[in-house]
Amino acid sequence: MTETLDRRRLLTSAVVGSAALAGATALGSLAPEAAFAAGEQAVEPGAPDPNFAEGRIIGISAGMLFVTGSDMALWRIRITGGTSIWKLRPTTFDQVAVGDGLYARGLRLPDGTLAADSVWVNIVNVHAHIAAIGRNMLHLDHKGKRIVGHLVPGTSAARYNDTPAVADMSLLRVGKHVQVIGAWVPDTNEVEIATVYANA
Amino acid sequence: MISWIAPLQPLLLGLVLLWSARLKLLSPHAAAAAGRSALAQLVGDTRALPAYRLVGTVEAALALVLLAPPALPAEALAAAVLSLGFTGYLAYARIAAPESSCGCLSATRTPVRWRAFARTAGLLAASLLALPATTGWTDVLRTRPLPAVGLLLAEAALLVALSPELDRHWLDPLRQLKVRITRPLPAGGFEVPLDSTMDQLHRSPVWRETAALLTSDLREHWDDDEWRILVFTARHAGQEASAVYAVPRLRYQPAAVRVVLVDEPTGQVLLARQSPPDTPEPDWVRPSPAAATA
Repeated sequence: MTETLDRRRLLTSAVVGSAALAGATALGSLAPEAAFAAGEQAVEPGAPDPNFAEGRIIGISAGMLFVTGSDMALWRIRITGGTSIWKLRPTTFDQVAVGDGLYARGLRLPDGTLAADSVWVNIVNVHAHIAAIGRNMLHLDHKGKRIVGHLVPGTSAARYNDTPAVADMSLLRVGKHVQVIGAWVPDTNEVEIATVYANA
Repeated sequence: MISWIAPLQPLLLGLVLLWSARLKLLSPHAAAAAGRSALAQLVGDTRALPAYRLVGTVEAALALVLLAPPALPAEALAAAVLSLGFTGYLAYARIAAPESSCGCLSATRTPVRWRAFARTAGLLAASLLALPATTGWTDVLRTRPLPAVGLLLAEAALLVALSPELDRHWLDPLRQLKVRITRPLPAGGFEVPLDSTMDQLHRSPVWRETAALLTSDLREHWDDDEWRILVFTARHAGQEASAVYAVPRLRYQPAAVRVVLVDEPTGQVLLARQSPPDTPEPDWVRPSPAAATA
């Protein structure tokens, strides 16, 4: 814990500490040759992207996720210190559970594993109508099927008319169309809402 | 008892069938409603609209016969047969085209659910109730106006309650009213959601310069006084590093966003960027020296 705090203090002072930046607006080069020294890997048009994986997690071991894709492909996804993990919010590897669904993007290594840059766990994107509103809950009508959206205080945010997100949900109306980005609760029709896009 | 209930049923059935036929024959949305219904699957896309109109014609004809004076058992029987046909159609739609719209009373997209079946069962029950009628509905309305109107309103209310396409006229407003009274959703405090900070980051000049270096999504974030710190993974000069952005937390000032690329194992700063401070006004707004002296 103190290690995390020390690290965060160090990074914070690196970015906002005035000493590091005294007067200078730039340090280091952003020239393309410096920035992209590693080079880009081209994917042939129409070919499946080798650096992308999706599926349900069937096993977890140290730093590795075993995932069955929707086409039954078996993926081994390596999680490193540089991997971002999203599960309703930016989170850590220990929050990922067997049975979760995921999308992962990264770099395919020669041994067949995918070294993940980013993993989005249980993420869903739903266009629906609000059928009813309960306590911290939206009942959504998605093509005639019911989805229950849970608002998570402190995390869920609403964007009205494309303005910056706010925590105020009170402008949502029964009968209106919304788009919901959220985290699916596996094997249910429930999602926890990260962002809801609506018109007000 | 049944002597005054039975003659009223043709009136109810006639009105419902007329309402239904109005959509199929007169509505400008009839073609769209036909295309969305299970008829498109049953008879083919090109024949869906003629079939839909044919159903509407049968409904309208039967409605007029039911409403016209002589009350015959054959009319009620025909209505019962039509209701049975509707039930069969609904069952087909539920099984063969579960995503299709009912197309029953409104062009609104309404998948076939239990309420549609219950409504058809209600129509069937009304048709069977109408079988023993001997007098016309006008006589009953004249002799017992109050109970007759009460019964008709109750039956109509039941049919409306069983019509999902009419929900937006009564159920949605009721639910909206409940939300207005109980206020079940959080109104939000003063805390700034992460999404809002991300939005500000995406609009910053520093992000435009450095976003192409990032390989990961947001890894972690924390608040430090007036700043919110957002950490990504970046690749710079062939080396993996942490991109640490500082975004103003409580004010909207995308130009104030700063970034450093830190090699975490060594703690070495590889790159630092911040925008030049905002000028209060663009140059061309300032009065030229010549104008000032004049």
